Amino acid sequence: MMEGLAVAAGKVAFSLFVLLNFVMLLTWAERKQSALMQDRIGANRASIFGFTWLGLFHPLADALKMVSKEDFVPAGANRGLHAVAPFVALFFALISFAAIPFGDQLWIGRHPVNLQVIDLNIGLLYVFAAMSMGVYGFVLAGWASNNNFSLLGGLRAASQMISYEITIGAAVIGLVMVFGTINLQTIVHRQGELLLGFLPAWGVFYQPLGFLLFVTAAMAETKRAPFDLPEGESEIIGYFLEYSGIKFGMFLMTDFVETVVVAGLVATLFFGGWQFPYLYRDGFHLPGGGILVLSQQVVCVIQVLTFLSKLAFFCWLSLLVRWTFPRFRYDQLIRLGWQMMLPLSILNVVVTGGVLLLLHR
Amino acid sequence: MEEIVKVPKQAEKGSGLTFWQRTYVPEIVRGLKLTAAHFFGNLAVHIFHLLGLWTEHRGAATVQYPEEMRGYSSRLRSLHRLTKRADGSPRCVACMMCETICPASCIYIVAAEHPDPNIEKYPESFDIDLGKCVFCGFCVEVCPEDAIRMDTHILDFAAYSREEMIWDIHRLLNNEPRRAEGIGQIRKMK
Amino acid sequence: MPTLTIDGQPITVSKGTTVIQAAEALGIYIPRYCYHPGLSIAGSCRMCLVEIEKAPRLEVACYSQAADGMVVHTITENVRLARRSVLEFLLSNHPLDCPVCDQSGECDLQNYYMEFGLYQSRFLENKIKRRKAYPIGPHVMLDNERCILCSRCVRFCDEVSKSHELGIVNRGERSEIALYEGRELNNAYSGNVIDICPVGALTERDFRFQCRVWYLNRTASICPGCARGCNIEIHYNVLRPYQSKGKRILRIKPRFNPAVNKWWICDEGRYGFRHIDASNRLRECEAQTADGVIPLGMETALKTAAAWIGESIEQHGKDSVGFFLSPELSNEDLYAILKLARHLGISKIDFRNPGEHPGFEDNFLIRGDKNPNRRGCVELGLYHRQRENGGWMAEEIKQGTLRMLVAFLQDLSLEPEFKAALVSLKRLIFVGSNSNATSEQAGLVLPSATYAEKNGSFTNFQGRAQRFERALVPLGDSLPENELIARIAAHFRMPEQPFEREQLLLDLRAEFPFFDQSTLDPPDVELAYQTTIAQREHA
Ligand code: SF4
Ligand code: SF4
Ligand code: SF4
Ligand code: SF4
Repeated sequence: MMEGLAVAAGKVAFSLFVLLNFVMLLTWAERKQSALMQDRIGANRASIFGFTWLGLFHPLADALKMVSKEDFVPAGANRGLHAVAPFVALFFALISFAAIPFGDQLWIGRHPVNLQVIDLNIGLLYVFAAMSMGVYGFVLAGWASNNNFSLLGGLRAASQMISYEITIGAAVIGLVMVFGTINLQTIVHRQGELLLGFLPAWGVFYQPLGFLLFVTAAMAETKRAPFDLPEGESEIIGYFLEYSGIKFGMFLMTDFVETVVVAGLVATLFFGGWQFPYLYRDGFHLPGGGILVLSQQVVCVIQVLTFLSKLAFFCWLSLLVRWTFPRFRYDQLIRLGWQMMLPLSILNVVVTGGVLLLLHR
Repeated sequence: MEEIVKVPKQAEKGSGLTFWQRTYVPEIVRGLKLTAAHFFGNLAVHIFHLLGLWTEHRGAATVQYPEEMRGYSSRLRSLHRLTKRADGSPRCVACMMCETICPASCIYIVAAEHPDPNIEKYPESFDIDLGKCVFCGFCVEVCPEDAIRMDTHILDFAAYSREEMIWDIHRLLNNEPRRAEGIGQIRKMK
Repeated sequence: MPTLTIDGQPITVSKGTTVIQAAEALGIYIPRYCYHPGLSIAGSCRMCLVEIEKAPRLEVACYSQAADGMVVHTITENVRLARRSVLEFLLSNHPLDCPVCDQSGECDLQNYYMEFGLYQSRFLENKIKRRKAYPIGPHVMLDNERCILCSRCVRFCDEVSKSHELGIVNRGERSEIALYEGRELNNAYSGNVIDICPVGALTERDFRFQCRVWYLNRTASICPGCARGCNIEIHYNVLRPYQSKGKRILRIKPRFNPAVNKWWICDEGRYGFRHIDASNRLRECEAQTADGVIPLGMETALKTAAAWIGESIEQHGKDSVGFFLSPELSNEDLYAILKLARHLGISKIDFRNPGEHPGFEDNFLIRGDKNPNRRGCVELGLYHRQRENGGWMAEEIKQGTLRMLVAFLQDLSLEPEFKAALVSLKRLIFVGSNSNATSEQAGLVLPSATYAEKNGSFTNFQGRAQRFERALVPLGDSLPENELIARIAAHFRMPEQPFEREQLLLDLRAEFPFFDQSTLDPPDVELAYQTTIAQREHA
């Protein structure tokens, strides 16, 4: 019993550690990456005893600033909901990471430890549920601020997220049909096989269209450019207009957490999760027939590192997209969601079903 | 031969886009390619710089002010200074031309009798309130004695109080020009 | 009575009138340096050349007498050319140090050059160096390089002040203005040469470098220096207080009035403005208490003053209060005090300037009576033959019948009888602009405004009531005497209206026909000192 608790606590701690560090580093990466993409240098002045370390202290400085700023609540606001909203948003973003596996089973003595915070049969549904609960935070924030612009921002957030959630769900149905499960760990296991003898059996190879649709819709879920209509900090202003200090910081964090979660989801569903090509429980099995034997613990470490690298890559990709494309117009956004992506994802389901039917005949 | 370009009367929606362009995807990839190329190119340059290599090539358009400064045009109107006679006393004869012309009324001169009747008049005090100055340069243009100039190329004279923004005759006289000419050049400051 | 035509306008003038005067009568300004209406004609500067039809060459307008049928053109191509050439000659040895020259801004050399000048200098030779900036008298500084030898200053000393200090020495281009051996330009009217010098050769030592002339504001006023009541302009600088070290009034200039002072004022009057910004000005009400002198707010002080007067009248009768007025008060102030006194039934009123002896007097402007408004006091009925030796008030104070005194401006203790009597006085209120021995003894001090800080009129010895205008805001809490009186009167249930400026004047005229008949000179709105102004209008 005690052991079980300790293991669970360890897994939670590890996953939170990874998630929050990624978030912190993302705020740094966002500045630096955008700077590099635009031939700039980026924030590089925060220093501790003269060390600037490529501006790595800036997230720290930001955090200090956020914490020390005045926590402002507008007159006439619903104080309770105003305070609760950022917590709701952040909470659901954080827990959605729990179902994503970051490694295979690790054997400690005789005890197998599943490297996943919660091993759920309905893992995928759980993640989607948690993510879509997050929208309550935004709508609440918009409504509780007693400001029409905030309210409009909240409404934009709600309609955008509902529109794209449908596509998200529809886009992965094809994948679920291929793998026959919605347990995320099982999905990752299925992707450890080989296609045609050399190609890793990653979801993206089964479902290229599903991948495109999913990535697009998931990006819309994170509410970052080019889908940042609910926020639009500098021009159209959004649901967190009336927030300051650490509460505002929590909304910003939510965005980054969602980015990481989406990156984890994409990696897990379409890029084999923690699977390293040709790496099995007992070592590498190269397509040519060579075998490199590794101990189970080493394999586990390689798998976790693989997952983290994939996570980092998709975060990078998300930033790249965010700093490359301009924002959609709102009607374009809705048309894209309903008139293009939704029909395409349904088409994807139908075609996948047809192909599966033919193959299994 | 003149090329005849047909100008459409009205921009048609989606006109001239190929099928692939209309699917977004290839164009999105093209855009990402461009920005990613910048990213990796600059990343490489910065990594070289960290290793101390290829430092003559700048990795960014950023000018690291105040460690670096852009060159200014020689005609730039910058912080004022009062010029000196050979003996170090101000050339200014307190004629009040600049004080009179100043549209911001930010020059304050008090005149006094000079012991030498050939100089006759000198400024006992000469203050410029840079917090009010609009840098029009009229004072320079109107001065009959070339006693006031705006050629120091000093632009960073901000202060923490209004009083400190008022420059008196001693500061103005000993305002060594920091000439930084050459548009487009970047100079490293000490 | 010749009739002539100037620039197409016909005019008939009396015989002997010169062309320049006739033109002036038509409002046509002809540039001039040596000509001055108050001086004899020299005809030396050649600036006033005009074209007269049928005359073989250009003629000087200042010297040519108007003749019947004359047709004069004051501005033709030839005239312009001639003036340009005259200016070129005048500038050939001129130092052109306008930046340091106090005259610039009101310099006729500058003004005419702007209109007629040859902007490209053709002068290659070395200029003659002369002596610069040296004092030639207590008030005047001479710069020989800037002098254009118009001889106005020489003629002034010969004809107006008749003191003959200045002359022109040497010959040709070496000629220059100089003092006669062993002399100094120290006559009583020496300051006038500064005004008439058309350039910056003669500058005012007192005013030098205090302020640029174009920063000055000007207001018409009356000199309070003596019973003549010369018309003056007050030149003051309030926009740039950092210059001239807090002094507001920087100089006094004469204002033309043919009946009183013509173009001139004496040096005494010219520098008689120092008390206005002096350090002994009273800025706030003060009360003498057991703990020494304490400052009071105006309201409290006025209330106290009214209470004191009221108490004294109530307890000891109307004759226990006296007013000691000053012949330096304006007609309006005096009349306001008179009104209050009548309302309260006070009859113990005297006016005097204690310790005064008849001063220097000449047969030109300066009067022995150094008060600007003694005639006004007399006309207001404040003069009683039986009270001619003013000792009666001191006597009554000593006897104890007069228990309280309100003294205006004057220092009573300058008179030995009063000095002794003041000790037995129960209560003394002093109203004045500057502190003196009496104000220090007074139980209550009310600060009043000087003549530059109020509107009013002085009646000069000729019986002309001449108005002066307010130039400055009264210093500190001080107020004009008639306002102080009006506000004290309010405590005695007197309405404000009779104390208002216009009403005061109306009542004054209705009650004292003298002020109706006598010319109540309005201040000349057009300030005459500046040739610049006339010239600008002409241009
Ligand atoms: S630059 Fe213009 S505003 Fe500034 S001091 Fe000179 S005249 Fe005045
Ligand atoms: S214009 Fe020139 S000489 Fe005149 S006061 Fe200004 S700085 Fe001095
Ligand atoms: S006299 Fe007139 S022209 Fe000559 S220096 Fe003085 S201001 Fe200038
Ligand atoms: S000092 Fe002045 S008034 Fe006298 S002659 Fe010279 S210019 Fe004329």
